[in-house]
Amino acid sequence: MTKTHSRRFGYLVITLLLMGFSVDAFGQMERRLVQQDRPVELTFMAPRNINLHTIEPLAKGEMHYAIMHAFGEVSNGWRNFYGIDNGANIRFSLEYGFTERLSTWIGRSGEDKVFEAGARYVVLRQMTSGDMPISLGINGNIGLNSSDLNAFVAQEYEFYERVSYFVSVPIARKENDRLSYQLTPMLAHFNRVGPEISIPLNENTYFGIGTSLRYKLRGRLALTGQYVYKANRDVADNIAIGLDIETGGHVFQLFFTTTRSLTDQYVLASDNGNPLDGGLRFGFNVNRLFSIK
Amino acid sequence: MAHNTSNNRKISIISTLSRISLLVGVLMLFWSPSASAQKYFADSGYIEFESRAPALTFKGVSQNLTGLVDLGKNSVDFYLDLNTIDTGIELRNRHMRESYLETAKFPFAEFLGFLVDSYERDGDKPVEVSAKGTFKIHGVTRAIDVNGTISPEGENIRLEASFTVALEDHNISRPRIVFYELSDIQRVSLNILLEKYDD
Repeated sequence: MTKTHSRRFGYLVITLLLMGFSVDAFGQMERRLVQQDRPVELTFMAPRNINLHTIEPLAKGEMHYAIMHAFGEVSNGWRNFYGIDNGANIRFSLEYGFTERLSTWIGRSGEDKVFEAGARYVVLRQMTSGDMPISLGINGNIGLNSSDLNAFVAQEYEFYERVSYFVSVPIARKENDRLSYQLTPMLAHFNRVGPEISIPLNENTYFGIGTSLRYKLRGRLALTGQYVYKANRDVADNIAIGLDIETGGHVFQLFFTTTRSLTDQYVLASDNGNPLDGGLRFGFNVNRLFSIK
Repeated sequence: MAHNTSNNRKISIISTLSRISLLVGVLMLFWSPSASAQKYFADSGYIEFESRAPALTFKGVSQNLTGLVDLGKNSVDFYLDLNTIDTGIELRNRHMRESYLETAKFPFAEFLGFLVDSYERDGDKPVEVSAKGTFKIHGVTRAIDVNGTISPEGENIRLEASFTVALEDHNISRPRIVFYELSDIQRVSLNILLEKYDD
């Protein structure tokens, strides 16, 4: 009796196993990623974060158009709509990606009517596996002051005297989905300085360290911050806070910053307002990317 | 005595059940090999997602659609590594991966389902087929019906299909305040040559 019982039970087990086997054949395929280790993306939402370049590279054949604005100081009061009426310094630039790491640009800023040509190269890229914990780049430009300087000086400007240089080494890390930061040691040199150009000191060479922050609030909205420490202690450090909004095609960046300058060497060399005493200025950047492959 | 009768009835039920199930099991055992000979597989199918918004129309495409169709069992299993979708602008791809699809958390889109009617070959002509199943993206699974065609190509088959996906059905949020550059309705179409496959 018990024997029969157990044999029949055995049939049932075998049957269930057979059925289980079939069910297994119905099961879904194993899901596999095409690429296991990827470069960490969107350390920052755009190639710019407030006034400074970020590590964020362009892709090959990609074009980045940026238009940046910095208005007058908030201290200009309500009658001037807190600086908006005071006219903006505007910089626009067009950058092209030759490879996934190398891009070049041309830009032009209203301040000192500076034309600039620049290039940046991403040397190290942070990887999702953690094998490479940081991204590191090199970024430089040559600027040409095209304003009518000779009207103000006894000795006329030679061409090379209108030239300025900037180089920086952005080092960035995306800590997690929300927080990214970047340290940017930077160096600027102006071949000739004087009261006729828009930098306050009579020094040719400037050194500083920029700090950029991004904190993602929601999917397409991030809080941004910036601090530029200046080794030339006679000019005030820069401080800024902003908001990045990604819209599916554009990245809008709204911010308050203490500098009017938008070209890198001027951001480093210019003086800054006191943020606690109306020295902030409203500004915004519009970043647009095209593909011209 | 009464105890014994109930025990006997139990045993007879178990015995009937196990005989039926054994028969079913054995039948399945025989049925499976013939079914596996009708499996088709590919991992380089084409799929596109088209977004038509007032301000912008664009497509995201991938050549990495992976599918397994078993015409014996009428089962359909497709998945896509969403990291492979290219919208033509790399920065947009990055934003798509990070802010919309959140591929670090949800790397795959998946369709798992069954053909409503078995595919009957009609010469070399494309035959209309429909599948019922579930579509999963961004961690949210929804029931979906997909219509398409199967055309024979030598010993392989080509599957073409299209359907729409509403991003909001899958908790994929879109920008609403500034611009409408991304449509809620994504028109998905795929074209995949599945090769005969024996496991």
